[in-house]
Amino acid sequence: MRKNVLLLFLLSLACVLSSCTSHLKDAKFYYVQAQESSRSYKTEIAIGSYKKSLQEAEKEVAKNPSSQAFMLKGLAELHLNLWEDAERSFLTAFSYGFDKGQEWAEWVSLFGLASAMEEMGLAQSAFQIYAHLVGKSKLKPVTIFAAQKYSDMALQRALREEGNQKERLLSGLYKEVEKLTNRDLSCGFYHYLQAQILSHRSDYRRCFEECVMARELGLPTQEIFHDNDLQIVFCYKRLKEELSSEDWEEFQPLYMQWVKRWNWPDPETPDWKKR
Amino acid sequence: MTKKSFEKIVQEGVRFIARFFPQSRYLYFPLLSAALVWAIKSSMEWREKIFSWEVWLDPSFVKVKSDEFILSFFSDHADLSRAFAEEIRTEDMHALRKLFYNLYPIIGLEDPFLSGLFHQELASQNYRDIAEQYDIKIAQAIVDIEAVEEKGRFLEGLEAIAREMASFSADLITQTSVQRALAEIINKEISKDMD
Repeated sequence: MRKNVLLLFLLSLACVLSSCTSHLKDAKFYYVQAQESSRSYKTEIAIGSYKKSLQEAEKEVAKNPSSQAFMLKGLAELHLNLWEDAERSFLTAFSYGFDKGQEWAEWVSLFGLASAMEEMGLAQSAFQIYAHLVGKSKLKPVTIFAAQKYSDMALQRALREEGNQKERLLSGLYKEVEKLTNRDLSCGFYHYLQAQILSHRSDYRRCFEECVMARELGLPTQEIFHDNDLQIVFCYKRLKEELSSEDWEEFQPLYMQWVKRWNWPDPETPDWKKR
Repeated sequence: MTKKSFEKIVQEGVRFIARFFPQSRYLYFPLLSAALVWAIKSSMEWREKIFSWEVWLDPSFVKVKSDEFILSFFSDHADLSRAFAEEIRTEDMHALRKLFYNLYPIIGLEDPFLSGLFHQELASQNYRDIAEQYDIKIAQAIVDIEAVEEKGRFLEGLEAIAREMASFSADLITQTSVQRALAEIINKEISKDMD
């Protein structure tokens, strides 16, 4: 009888322990799955996986709170745009011993503040915070969001100007984004941003090259992926008009190699375009 | 499979969606056609997308494009260049930029749900109507979709119908005529229902 009770106790303990381990393990599994899906433009699967990762992390923090569990919870929340929840999770992770938790919470909090200010019409203050985050944030999702917002706002400002002043603003923006690329050369989104700025500067050859790098390295959403493809086609058309016949002869075969690699039906139609 | 059986699946789909959205007939086509696109393009769990609009829209693409890019978008598209000939001729960038924000996601980026939501305007080439109604129609769709009860059951049913429709051909969505046929069947069902 005593042996049976002990066996039952050990079995229950094993069950409890295995369920604790599996929630953290599942949260990590779904997080990695979400990142992989995101890299292959399956945004909706990625969102689903981030949600599952968050659910598992929530179960884990309820049963067995730890710095790792709160960190994972915060990261999943970050990808689901739950900024305030993410900030709280990172701060709690810090209280459990995750050193970077406080710093991450500050960046998330700043981004949330900038978004709120932008919505309330305080564009100038929001712009300054986005600029600060582009330069300082070491939390990639925050940097990416901030870089996109910062670039859009800076381009908007540049459009209001003309001549040298416009070029000065575009050149400054390009240098900021280039710094991000130099910090993380494999991030397709930063190359995409560089391409967008180069397009405003009418530097279509370099714009095309950045677009190709962005496409090959991967982009966060299918919408951005499509936008990048349309930018490639736009560069092609402009270069066709602008390049000397000698330069065109050099560029065109190179372009056609990419078209073949991407399985486009023709140089001006990406494969996803309705025909 | 015959055309009739495809029609039958679409009819079932319309009846199914009508149970959840009896007052929102305008959603029948965008929901069915978008589900069909997702089912064909990838056999994946697209279901989260419908209820994840806010998340799905961010991080976004860079919306501020150069004047040249915007002009090229309008003038290289046969229908758009006709519809906005005056704005293109005078290079009215203020007007074109405003129109671009609403037309580019549908005609340029080919968002399947938005294309479905504005399919009537697209079919009749009422591009100005799209631009004018864009914000209102999207806001309404978000409210109506968010309000649906038993989301899980709805998504399961919609997914099953989309997969059935998708089984007809892996290339259906590239054919505008198929989308037209889908719209015709749905309209027929709606008018039957109204009689």
